[in-house]
Amino acid sequence: MSAPPLDVTQSWASRELEHGRQLFRAQFSPDGQWIAAGGQDKLVHLWELEKEGKKSLQGHKTWVSSLVFHPKEKKLFTADYLGVIHCWDYEKGDKPTWTIKEADRDNVRALVVTADGKYLISAGDDAVIKVWKASDGKQVAKLEDHEECIFCLAISPDGKHLVSGDLLGRIRQWTIGDWKQVRELDAKLLHTRKENFLADVGGVRSFTFSVDGKLLAVGGMKEAKSNAFCPGKPTVLVFDWATGEVKNELGIKGKSDGPFNALQFLEDGTLVGHTEVLHSVSELAFWKVDQAEPIHSIKNGSGYDLSLHPDKRQLLVPTYVTGGSSGNGGRGKTPENYLPNTTVLRIFSLYPKPEKSKEG
Amino acid sequence: MNPTKTSFSCGQAIHAMTRRRMLGSLGGLAGFGSLLHPSIAKQIEERKKQVCLIWLDGGISQYESWHPLPDSKFAGPFRSIKTSIPGVHFSELMSHSAKIAHKISVIRTMSTKDPNHSTGVPRMQRGDPLDRGVDYPYLGSSVAKLLGPADPELPPYVWIKPGNGGFIHREAGFLDARYGALALGDGRPPVHIHRPDGVTAELDAARNALRQKANERFKTYRNLSDVDAYETSYDMARQLMARKEIFDDEKLDPKDRERYGQHPLGRHVLQARQLLEAGVRFVKVNSYHWDTHGDNFNMSQRLVPQADQPFAALINDLDDRGMLDHTLVVMMSEFGRTPLINSRLGRDHWPDCWSIALAGCGIKRGAIIGETTKDGGFVNGRGYDVGDLFHTIYNVLGIDSHRVRYRHKGQKLAIASDDCEPIEEVML
Repeated sequence: MSAPPLDVTQSWASRELEHGRQLFRAQFSPDGQWIAAGGQDKLVHLWELEKEGKKSLQGHKTWVSSLVFHPKEKKLFTADYLGVIHCWDYEKGDKPTWTIKEADRDNVRALVVTADGKYLISAGDDAVIKVWKASDGKQVAKLEDHEECIFCLAISPDGKHLVSGDLLGRIRQWTIGDWKQVRELDAKLLHTRKENFLADVGGVRSFTFSVDGKLLAVGGMKEAKSNAFCPGKPTVLVFDWATGEVKNELGIKGKSDGPFNALQFLEDGTLVGHTEVLHSVSELAFWKVDQAEPIHSIKNGSGYDLSLHPDKRQLLVPTYVTGGSSGNGGRGKTPENYLPNTTVLRIFSLYPKPEKSKEG
Repeated sequence: MNPTKTSFSCGQAIHAMTRRRMLGSLGGLAGFGSLLHPSIAKQIEERKKQVCLIWLDGGISQYESWHPLPDSKFAGPFRSIKTSIPGVHFSELMSHSAKIAHKISVIRTMSTKDPNHSTGVPRMQRGDPLDRGVDYPYLGSSVAKLLGPADPELPPYVWIKPGNGGFIHREAGFLDARYGALALGDGRPPVHIHRPDGVTAELDAARNALRQKANERFKTYRNLSDVDAYETSYDMARQLMARKEIFDDEKLDPKDRERYGQHPLGRHVLQARQLLEAGVRFVKVNSYHWDTHGDNFNMSQRLVPQADQPFAALINDLDDRGMLDHTLVVMMSEFGRTPLINSRLGRDHWPDCWSIALAGCGIKRGAIIGETTKDGGFVNGRGYDVGDLFHTIYNVLGIDSHRVRYRHKGQKLAIASDDCEPIEEVML
């Protein structure tokens, strides 16, 4: 059966998976049969979509901060705030097949696997990129040039390059295999440092390459106003990959004030991003990258990740849901009715809703 | 009527006697404290009592500091680490304080009602006695009033803060404006403590004499508090001109700078130590921007160590110098932060159950008090309001907080809420 025509303006929420705690990362498996997600409850959750089954894997001792599927094998890599990476045989096992105990001084904020499946690459708080053999977790290389924590990594579509982005808005490009640094791209617009701030705010929070590899979109926020609320203007910088120059700067019209934590290019060149907002409704935004404002957006709770299904027609967003007690003070709440905030894994179908579904 | 005799009814003779005069009258007895008349010895002890309030404006998260509860459903992602007290854990972001936990007390069940900054800050710093329609003084001004200067040649209340400095008389509330705070903006000394080169010492003295004479004449028919504040600012300037060395950064040991941290709070707490050593009665150190509604975990990772490092260094230094037993150190905010994590991965305001730290003067060492519910969100048992905290502070400073009253326009006003009590669990 041929895929329905891509039309993001007709996108609709086609499926929702609820979870009782906050999840910050969620990805489709390469075969599209599974969703893996992790976050605050320290567990790695796996939904088997067709069978509607779910299992939760124990292994991490703190929040799960990052996860990535192996592109060719039934392996899932997950990482946490204590610098631990686990490798899971997610279909069969419920224990890690191997573990890297000290992948970072603290938080492993990003994981990627090279296109050929040979290498797992991690980065995080200690500002050092580490390359591991994806087969057994043995270290292959350390790439040191960032000065501040690294938030995100991405592999170019040709499989030859790695990019890394840090708190200071610096992007480094590295060659895969010999692990040499090629160049630096400037995304300092996404970093804010002010005299009266107690800490730097912002940074390069997300990457995505266009399908043809000609563009690199970089997400974050600019012009942060404080290090307390950390409000800023959600911003995407679109780089010409060949020249390293910024071609366009994208924003949103809505009131979201957090960074773009995730971006995704679609096959027709549409760029998708999701951001956060405090105590209100955020949005899933769609751009044509030559236009500064979205061509379409869908109101949604704050979203922390994006994953495109292998069918290229479904987009997964781990979405914040309030437990009903948000805001300042207990206001009469008791331990019994003061409940954690939760997550809905919302799947958006990127085509018109079929008539039958509309009726349903 | 002399207002200086009517606004504080304690009436202890000690308040009329300067430390230098007292020490002068006791010349030759130094080192023989045990031979002194007990009441005199007690008065000397009271004279020595000093306070350092480290104020983290906006609200530090208790989960990311004093009460991590890693198995709580509200826990953050950071490690819980052992402290120097067996069985007690702090957040890994408090690694320095963890090593000196046996020197401090932590109250984990502050329950202070007010979830707003605009009202919570003054409530927490004024102690919130019953509303009598007056503007209560902030703690530093209260202590300046109730104990007087520890060294009569130094201002009793110095406030080190980011931003602008100056003499902040509004801290004094209904007290005479002269009990306000001398604020050192960004830790810088007041700009006018250096006598211009063209003014000789003799000329300066003559100028001051003329000013004082004019003031005496002026205040015969006018509001004394305003004139007092004016005179106080001049007196302070003259005092500080004579003690410029206490602001001299060059004299600070580079190792001290390293130990306290090069960030503003580190520098300012180190400066507070200098001022305490010099004999300032009450030093407040402010740090702003702790209101982490957004990105709480990335921010706490960077902010909390900025409080932890100088706090622990100060406690160690005061202890090493033999000052901790007479210097009260309090580190607190107007409230804690919510157990719930919001949509911006922040924590909102939470006055219902949160933590503060105290050390020194009359405070137990190694007391970690307060029982919370399993997840840390609520008090399980006794919670402590700001009135309890103020009674505690006044009592460890030797002030009978239930007996001593301010007098203001004919009213007797409690210095701490009559409905509250000292927190005995943290007091020696």
